[in-house]
Amino acid sequence: MALATVERVSFAYPDSEPALRDVSFSLEPGEAVLVLGPSGSGKSTLLRALAALVPHFHGGRFSGRVDVLGRDTRLTRPAELADTVATLFQDPEDQVVMARVEHEVAFGLENLGVAPQEIRPRALAALRAVGAGGLAARPTYELSSGELQRVCFAAALALRPRLLLLDEPTSQLDPNGAAALVGHALEAGAAVFVTEHRAERLLDAVDRILFVEDGRILLDADPQRARAWLARERPAWVAEPTPLPEPALDEVVVSVEDASFAYGGRTVVDRPSLEVRRGEIVALTGPNGSGKTTLAKLAAGLLEPAGGAVRRFGRAAYLSQDPGRYLTRDRADEEVALGIGGDLERGHRWLAAVGLGGLQHRHPRDLSSGERERLALASVLAVEPDLLVLDEPTRGVDPQRKAELAELLRAAAPKRATLLVTHDETFAAATAHRSVAIGGSSRDPNASNSLLLASRGAGSAGDD
Amino acid sequence: MSPGPAAALLGAAAVAALLSERLLSVAAIAVVLLGVCLHGPKDRRALYLWGTFVAGFWVAVLTPLLAAEGSHYLWEGPTVPVLGPLGLTAEELEAGLLSALRLVAVGLAFAAYALLLDHDRLVQAAGFARRSALAVALATRLVPTLERDGRGLLEALHGRGVEVRGVADHARLLSPLLAGSLERGLNLAEAMEARGYGRSGATRAPAIRGRLDRPAVVAAAALVLAGALWL
Repeated sequence: MALATVERVSFAYPDSEPALRDVSFSLEPGEAVLVLGPSGSGKSTLLRALAALVPHFHGGRFSGRVDVLGRDTRLTRPAELADTVATLFQDPEDQVVMARVEHEVAFGLENLGVAPQEIRPRALAALRAVGAGGLAARPTYELSSGELQRVCFAAALALRPRLLLLDEPTSQLDPNGAAALVGHALEAGAAVFVTEHRAERLLDAVDRILFVEDGRILLDADPQRARAWLARERPAWVAEPTPLPEPALDEVVVSVEDASFAYGGRTVVDRPSLEVRRGEIVALTGPNGSGKTTLAKLAAGLLEPAGGAVRRFGRAAYLSQDPGRYLTRDRADEEVALGIGGDLERGHRWLAAVGLGGLQHRHPRDLSSGERERLALASVLAVEPDLLVLDEPTRGVDPQRKAELAELLRAAAPKRATLLVTHDETFAAATAHRSVAIGGSSRDPNASNSLLLASRGAGSAGDD
Repeated sequence: MSPGPAAALLGAAAVAALLSERLLSVAAIAVVLLGVCLHGPKDRRALYLWGTFVAGFWVAVLTPLLAAEGSHYLWEGPTVPVLGPLGLTAEELEAGLLSALRLVAVGLAFAAYALLLDHDRLVQAAGFARRSALAVALATRLVPTLERDGRGLLEALHGRGVEVRGVADHARLLSPLLAGSLERGLNLAEAMEARGYGRSGATRAPAIRGRLDRPAVVAAAALVLAGALWL
C-alpha cells in the first residue's frame, strides 16, 4: 500500500495563478524522492499539499485528492497529520517557537501527546542524531542559521514520522553539514520528499526524481533515467563547472591585514589577511560559524575591525544573505532604484539582468523566495561598486538562474573586485577565479581562522 | 527562582506602581526594578531601557503642559487660542512625575520579564492557561525580533550606499518592519500547525522545580503590593 497518493491535484493560492496543475504521483513507505524545478515552480506547494497545509492553512482553490496513510487531507487538518508527516521549512528562523533548543525539539512531542517521561530523552536523542547534542541548553536566539536548521531538523526527526518533507533543507549549511543532514534524513527510516537546488549530493542517493515546472510534473524517473533526461532537457541541473581563464588583474581594491573582530567578547575573526584585486572574483568558503560573513562585512566597511587594518579603494556594496532585508519599498523597481538615486530606468535594466524583467510593478513581498533573492541581488548590482561583496547569493536560486548569475558576475568582473561568500561549491567553482577557505571545524570554537586561511584555484573548491 | 513566581513578583511590583499614589514609593519600585534589569544581557537590555526611559521622559514633560489642575503656580504663561491659558503648577508637575515613574516602573517590570525569565518554563508552568502563556511568550519575542530586523534593514541599506538619517527616514522603515513581522508570524503559525499545535491530548515535558516554594513567593508578591500601597 502506498504511503501517500496524489491524484490529479490542482491548486491556486487566493487571487493567484495555479501553483499546481493536475499533479499525480504516489510515495511508497521508506522511499526517497528528490523534487527539482525552477524557483516558483510549485515544489514547496507540493510539500504543503502532502502536509495538508494546502488547502487548510493557505485557503485558495483546491481540486483532486491527496491521501496520506488512508487519510484524505481535505478532511484532515495539518495538526492531525503531525504524527505521520513532519515538515522542515525553508527558513529555520521562522519555525522556532521556544526559547531553548531542548524545549524547541520537545514542542512537537508535547503536541503529539507523547508520554511526559519519554519527551526529554527523545528530544535529546534527536539532537544527538543530527550532531547538535551540545546545543540542547542553548537559547535559540543565540544560534546561527546553520545551527538553527539542524535544530529544526532534529525537531522533525524527534516526531518519528512516516513521511519527512524537507524544503531546501541544506540552504544554510556548509557542504559537510549538508551531507550529514541528507545522510541522517535518508537513514531515518521514513519516506523522504525533499526539494533542493544543490542537487548533486542527492541525485544518486534517492530512489526517484521528480522535475516540476509551472505547476506540472515533467519527469518522474529513477536517478539514471533522470540524469539522462536532465542532461538532455535541463542541462543546467547537471552541468559540471568549466575552469575559468586567468583574470587580468588590476589594482588592489580591498586589503584585509590581520583584522580581528569579536561579538560580545567572542572572537569571530582572528587575524586573517586577504586581498582582492579589480578583475578577480574570490570565493570565501568555510564551515558554518567560521566568520565568513563577519570578514565579508569588514571588507565591505559595515563593521570596523577591533585590530589589524582593512583598506578599501573605491565604493563598496554588500549583499546580505537575508533577502528579506530588500523589501522596503512597494514596487520591485523602486527597491532596486533606492541605491541609485531613484533612477527607475536603470532599475528596470538591472531587474531584467537578473531575470525579473516584467515584474517591476510587483510588490517585493509578492515575489517567491528565489525571486526575492534575485531582487536583492539586482538592488546591490545596480550600485555598480568597485568592491562587490555577496553573502550567499544563491539561497533559493535554481541552477539555471545560478548559471545566469555566474555569467553576469564573470562578464562584469573586469570592472570591479568581487568577494563571494558561499557554501555552494558548484557555484563557487563556476564563478570564482580563486577560492579562499576560512576557519576550521565549526565544532572547535577555539580554532584560529588566521592559521587556517588557505587560498587555491576555485576548481579545487569541492575537494574539501 | 522559578520563572512563574518571579513573574508574579514582577507583576505585583508593576501593579503596586500603578496603584500607589506616593511619588517616593513608585520611585523606589522603579529603582529596584532598574537594578534587576541591569542583571540582563548587556547587548539586549539597551533597547528596553532606552524605550522605557524615553517614553517616561515625554510623559513627564507633556503631562504638566496638557493637564489643568492645582493652584500653586510655578510659572504662568500666555493664553494660547484653542489650548487656553498655559501654566505650570506644583500639582501638575507632581502628577506628571508620578505618571512618568509609573510608566517607567511598568516598562522596567516588562523588561525584566523579557530579559531575565525563562519563557519556556513559564509556558510549562502555565497549567490550564498554556496557550495564553505561549502567546505572551511569542509576543514578548517581538521586541528583540523587530530590533534585529531593524538593524538588518539598516545594514542592507548601508550596504548599497543608502544613508538613513533623521526621524522621517527611520519612520519609513516601520512599515516594512511591521509587514516583515506579520509575514514571520504567518510562517510561524504554519510551522506550529504542521508540528501538531492545537491537537487534542497534548502532554508536557516534566518541569524542573525552582528553589523557592511557590507559596513563599506568592506571599512575597502580596507583601510588595501591600507595602507599596501602605507607604
